[in-house]
Parts: sequence; C-alpha cells; structure tokens
Amino acid sequence: MELTSEQKERYARHIVLDGIGEEGQKKLLSSSVLIIGTGGLGSPAALYLAAAGVGTVGIADADEVSVSNLQRQIIHTTCDAGRAKVESAKEKMQRINPDVTVKTYRVFVTEDNIYDIIKDYDFVLDCTDNFDAKFLINDACVKAGKPFTHAGISGFKGQLMTYVPNHGACYRCVFKNPPPKDAFPSAPGVVGAVPGVIGSLQAMEAIKYLTGAGEPLTGALLTYDALTQEFRKVHVPTDGDCAACGNK
Amino acid sequence: MLKIPKCLCTELIRCAESGAPYEVCGLIGGIISDGAKEVTDIYPLENIDRSREHFSIDVHAQLDAVRDMRKKGITPLGNFHSHPASPPIPSREDIRLAHDEGASYVIISLAKGKPVIKSFRVKDGEAAEEAVVTEEGQRKNGAYK
Repeated sequence: MELTSEQKERYARHIVLDGIGEEGQKKLLSSSVLIIGTGGLGSPAALYLAAAGVGTVGIADADEVSVSNLQRQIIHTTCDAGRAKVESAKEKMQRINPDVTVKTYRVFVTEDNIYDIIKDYDFVLDCTDNFDAKFLINDACVKAGKPFTHAGISGFKGQLMTYVPNHGACYRCVFKNPPPKDAFPSAPGVVGAVPGVIGSLQAMEAIKYLTGAGEPLTGALLTYDALTQEFRKVHVPTDGDCAACGNK
Repeated sequence: MLKIPKCLCTELIRCAESGAPYEVCGLIGGIISDGAKEVTDIYPLENIDRSREHFSIDVHAQLDAVRDMRKKGITPLGNFHSHPASPPIPSREDIRLAHDEGASYVIISLAKGKPVIKSFRVKDGEAAEEAVVTEEGQRKNGAYK
C-alpha cells in the first residue's frame, strides 16, 4: 500500500515523526479500533483516531444524544440532540477524515454480543460509564486475546490502564469485582475537560499499540487529578488467581 | 467444511515437525464462499510460551498477520497449532481459549507416525470436528494423504 499525495499531505506531521513515519501511517490506515461508548471518553478518542487515519473505527453505543451530554461529549452538537450517538459521531468522524471507515453498532455490549463485535478489531477502547460494562469488556477482551485500554472518570479525577495479552495485569486483576450498586452516584459530576484528557490518552494508547511506538501502559494504572494537575503511574501486579486472566 | 490445498497441508506438517517437540502455532486466512472456507494462506507465528503442551501467539505478530490478510483481501479463518505428542483433539485449554464460534481451530498431531490434521469449531464450550477437504477430496479418519 502506497500513500497518495493527499495522504502524504494529510499525515505529514505523523510522517516526519521518528516513532511513526510513513510505515507507521500505513499501519494506522490498515488497522481497526473499536470504541465502546461514544460519550465523554469516546468523543475525543473517536475524533483523534479518525483524524489520525485509523483505517476502520467501530463505535458502539445504544444511547441517544441528550442536551445534558453536550457539556462533555464534544463529538455531538446541540443540533444532534435526540439522534443516535453512533450516527452523530460517525458524521463528525467522516467529516474530519474520509479515509476512515466508520462502522456503527447501536447496541449496548452484552455477554451475548460482545465477542461478535470485538472479533474484527485490532484494539478496543473501553469508554463506557458503568462498572458492569467495564468488567464485561475486560473479561471478553482477556478471553478473546484482544488488547484494550480501560479508562474511567469521576469528578476531577480520571484513570487509565492498558491490557495486552501476556503483558501484565488486566482490569479484574486490579479491581476484582464491580463495587456495590449504590457505592457511586449514577450520574456523578464531571468537568468535561477531564474525559477530554483521559479519552485523548486512550487514543494515544491505541496509536502507540498499532504503530509500535513507545511502550503501552501495561502493568500500570495511570491516575490523573485535575485539581492538582498531577499524574501518578502506579505499577499493578498480575493476579495469578484472577478470575479473568489467571491460570494462563 | 474447511478446504486446505495439499501444498498448505504439507506446509502445516513441515511447520509442526520442524518445531517439535514444542507446539507451533499460527493463523490461517482465506476465502469464504457458500459457507465453505478455503485456506489460501497460512501464517506460522512464534509460540511465545515455547511449550510442549500449550501455545500463545504474540499479539503484535498476530496483528501484522491480520494486516497482511487485509492487504491481500482475504479473511482471517482461524488458527492452527500442533500437538507434538498428543492426539488431534482440542485440550481443555484449547477449548477455553476458543472464543470465536465462526473460527476454525486446526490441530496438527504428530503423536502417531503419520501426521494428522483436524479442524474444530467451538461453541458454548463444546468442540465439534468440521470436515477438512484437501484438493484431492475428503480425507478419511483425519489421516493426511
């Protein structure tokens, strides 16, 4: 596959980078990423992955855009209120970059559909907003041998970790089980820029994995506190008895 | 049904024999037509476990192989691995790790004098053998001709 002159112009700032270059750009164009959730985290991730020229981006979300989403879900606009989030997101992604094929799944992931959805993708982003989905995505990706990046946000804080098969702890190694249902408010407050930061880091993890640049955030949990502007990288060990990845 | 050209069967066996006593592994790609799968390419990949009883494929090598399939316009059909000293039957671990109902899981067994190639589909934790056909027609009892 050779880059066209238009692609060379579009991706010029990737091509001049030592860690990516023309070969890395070709890798991105021939890669696929699935984004589960097109809300606060999925919005910046989808925009950056589309702009970066990831060849196929899947987006899964059953929800519709509501006005209260717009304070942080920056891929959607006021005019999109009431539309399916995946359709709204797809439109913006294709406007940014027609190189990108966007596949939509207007569903919430479940035990019954997740394997079929993730199987065609090289990398998965967990951009969901609830613990059940996060554990489901972790367990399915571990079982399917699929690398993915987890992220979560609440208030002024966010966190991120990447799982690559045979390269460190999975989400369940660290968090074991979902917390009790009433442990967290169902609609916590959040400043939109926080999922903006963390969702962008998720896109970065995907780009690094797909191009081979740098080191993925495996075996570690990155935490971010917007109030102090502090990042902390905490190393997390693999749990040999983990219900998802143990005994492998 | 999984069609494997004889030359690729030979390549799979050669791969299994050259890697013995360790398990070898890789991906298979090809085309799907009228529900029948035909293997056109095999991708031997490093068994990073370097084990006689199980295998793991490096995800980066797997990604490169899938990208090559996309480039060629072929479809990932499943994977293969060898059983250097055991029959061509999926182990519990093979079944536990087989998550894709649509995939073919090919096993090359060297346990008896004559190499045997079999393919399985796995659904709900149960493995079912699928017919493997070479260019010379359907094999009997899984014995490679």
